[in-house]
Amino acid sequence: MELAASKKVANPSPKQKKNVKPKKITVENVWQHRVQYMMLLPCILFFILFSYLPMAGMILAFKEFRFDTGIFGGAWVGLEYFERFFQDPQSWTFIKNTLIISSMKLILALPFPIILALMFNEVQSNKLRGFFQSIMYMPHFLSWVVVVGIIQSILAPNTGLLNQFISFLGGDGSTYFLMEEEYFHSVMFWSYIWKDIGWNSIIYFAAIMSISPALYEAAAIDGANKLRQIWHITLPGIRPTILILFILSLGNILSAGFDQIYLLQMPGNTEVSEIIDTYVIKTGLESGQFGYATAVGMMQGVVGLIVVVIVNRFSNKMFNTSLW
Amino acid sequence: MYDQHDKTLRFFRVFNMIIIVLLCLTIILPFLNILALSFNDGADAQRGGIYFLPREFSLENYIEVFQQSTIINAFGITLFRTVLGTIFSVFLTAMAAYALKTKTLPGRKVITFFIFFTMLFSGGVVPYYLVLNELQLTNTIWVYIIPSLYSVWNILIMRTFFQQIPESLEEAARIDGCSEFQIFIRIILPMSKPVIATIGLFNAVAHWNDWFSGSFYVRNSELKPLATLLQEMLTSQQALSEALLQNSGAYAALDKITVTGDSLKMATIILVVAPILMVYPFIQKYFVKGVNIGSVKE
Repeated sequence: MELAASKKVANPSPKQKKNVKPKKITVENVWQHRVQYMMLLPCILFFILFSYLPMAGMILAFKEFRFDTGIFGGAWVGLEYFERFFQDPQSWTFIKNTLIISSMKLILALPFPIILALMFNEVQSNKLRGFFQSIMYMPHFLSWVVVVGIIQSILAPNTGLLNQFISFLGGDGSTYFLMEEEYFHSVMFWSYIWKDIGWNSIIYFAAIMSISPALYEAAAIDGANKLRQIWHITLPGIRPTILILFILSLGNILSAGFDQIYLLQMPGNTEVSEIIDTYVIKTGLESGQFGYATAVGMMQGVVGLIVVVIVNRFSNKMFNTSLW
Repeated sequence: MYDQHDKTLRFFRVFNMIIIVLLCLTIILPFLNILALSFNDGADAQRGGIYFLPREFSLENYIEVFQQSTIINAFGITLFRTVLGTIFSVFLTAMAAYALKTKTLPGRKVITFFIFFTMLFSGGVVPYYLVLNELQLTNTIWVYIIPSLYSVWNILIMRTFFQQIPESLEEAARIDGCSEFQIFIRIILPMSKPVIATIGLFNAVAHWNDWFSGSFYVRNSELKPLATLLQEMLTSQQALSEALLQNSGAYAALDKITVTGDSLKMATIILVVAPILMVYPFIQKYFVKGVNIGSVKE
């Protein structure tokens, strides 16, 4: 969502008045803008230190890390770490787990915020709708720590709300949902929906609002009922938004959301819940295999970038929208 | 036929409303449950059967939470980083956004791409950690504030907002002899309250909620923020919260145990959530506007 939105920000639309171009880089022009450069200086320094320096630090993927020589010292090890990763049968499980979780979030979760936006659109009173919307946005502002805390309590065996409800219906109320492998994906999926469905609906709702009301009026005169109006006017109207958001979210294919998955991990479900993100943190930050973890993390980043670049080219051709 | 149509439409709207209300309930009810548990006697809660109201009302959980020096300290750390981090971050972001909005700035496109690219690609968390380490930021309180001063997304939102301020205002001020920096302070900032509120809220919430840096970049337990403490309580299950209780002598002082690890956890969750819920109604109208500025406006 962020990428899609930023593309519109990054590409000033043709509507903008005078098309002022940046001046040539000459001493005089630079001096004229010295205040702006001073204002940008901390920002540029920041991104060099906290974004580009770590990118250079990826060289560790080919080196042995030693604290005394720092990031750029150490002996070359070539592709050793990559070989180790791909020779470990466990790695394929992690890749599989990551792909399952990320595709559930990218594909299976896609219709939910759209449907919610359509439903909001049918609420007649603006005040009431605003009220419902602010309730639905709210979980987005909570930390995953809090959400998982709530889940732990609600899904607790015997005393949790869900288990009490199950025993009320005459079932067995002692299931430890968070410990059991078979429930992991549903807990993960529904908590993800719960937390972000409202927030993700904002952008679709805005797209729906920008559809001309005249189209609906014309359709109503032609005798189209509500569902037909949604099918033939609303959905085609927001199709570009849906497509762009979906295609661009594919860049996250190899990162399935660290916070949520790490916090939901339990001894009982690691077989399905260990993903590349959590594996990198565990091998790197928790057990100090810096070089190896850098190599694994690097594959994740590179695959993400490649997918974004390819998909961006594709969307540029098909829909005439591009990130840069 | 027309009547029939009206009827189905009304039915459709009522049905739609019912679903929305149910969805809102799935958001509200879990909170009520946690709230009820946090105000209920801990030992009693272990018997189950508590839904949306406490059964044996008790303030013990909160009294216990507020007696924990660890929790109070963590609360202070969180407050410190949220306030300081948000102020610095909003001001610096605004400055960068103002500079990037200047259309005549030589090299503007290159600089924008230089910043934007970091959103598409990063070196990964391990090299990032090692850089923090080399900069001597790890294990200090500054690791919470300095590395999160800027975010690409926030810079872009602010820049878009600034671009919509009529340039004639700036030109008029320039003719009156205002310097660029004065224009920024006296004209741009006062006109940008909605976007400042939005970015401020995003920053504050991110600071308040961040448990990751506290868990992985900081070892000193006196520097752990509230969210990290809660995360440790969750992952270690009972262990940590029970240890907290034993330290405080709650077991010795009371002949009957009224506070359990679980009930302490519930009170801590409420403590973490409460400030967000309290400011939320007042700022939510701003952020919807702010998000739409950055996204849908062409």
